[in-house]
Amino acid sequence: MRRNAPLPARVLWNAFYWTYERASWQYDIMVIAILAFVWLTPPDWLGDPMASGPGPIGWLLDRLR
Amino acid sequence: MTFTGLIGRLCLFPLRLIIDTCVALRIHPNVLTFVGVLINFAAAYALALGKFVTAGFIMVVANIFDFIDGKVAVELGEVSAFGGFWDSVIDRFSDLALFIGLIFLYSQLGRTDYVMITALAMMFAIMTSYTRARAESLIEKCKVGFMERPERIVLFMIGAFTNRMAAVMWVILVLSIFTVADRIILTYRELRDAPPAVV
Repeated sequence: MRRNAPLPARVLWNAFYWTYERASWQYDIMVIAILAFVWLTPPDWLGDPMASGPGPIGWLLDRLR
Repeated sequence: MTFTGLIGRLCLFPLRLIIDTCVALRIHPNVLTFVGVLINFAAAYALALGKFVTAGFIMVVANIFDFIDGKVAVELGEVSAFGGFWDSVIDRFSDLALFIGLIFLYSQLGRTDYVMITALAMMFAIMTSYTRARAESLIEKCKVGFMERPERIVLFMIGAFTNRMAAVMWVILVLSIFTVADRIILTYRELRDAPPAVV
């Protein structure tokens, strides 16, 4: 990735082409993003065979309606 | 200190006690590795039965063995080339067992979609290890990509304890594909830029 590439492109490339060590701040951000996906995505959206319900995002969307 | 660094340090305290006990008892590290895979088979069985929380607890115990074997080997002065090889091979059995447990469960539930997602995640998890091993026979180091074994195991535990295994399978699949791609890209670049071998 060229240094003069736009910031979003560099962020995406660095997330895809992962070269960071464990326990770095970049690693922390990746872990938070993964945990957010795992815990916040409604199991119904993924068709989870073992879990059901709207999950926190679904609950929030229901409240906002 | 980062958030993940702090968690790592906190986990190290109880592990230190277990390592010291194993060293005091002079338990051979290869035995610890083997006990770890047997316990992982039990975790796979629990996953196959859909007993995720039980599987989670068993995985914690199994991976304690998995984590400490190398440290015990160092402290006992039993580090060997065979030990490293044995550890890698046994790790693959542990990985495969957990995925097979889930594949069995999803097939029992008639969920072909998740059978395929889990099978693909298993394929790329194994290719993650293979690409690195093969690459390091050609280049010095091939340690790129996020989804390595420790991340996979922790995700399995999170999925089991919080009953979010479907989401975990998606994460493992997507990030393992990226990791394999990263390793292929790095190896290609390193070999392309390397001076031609003198025959």
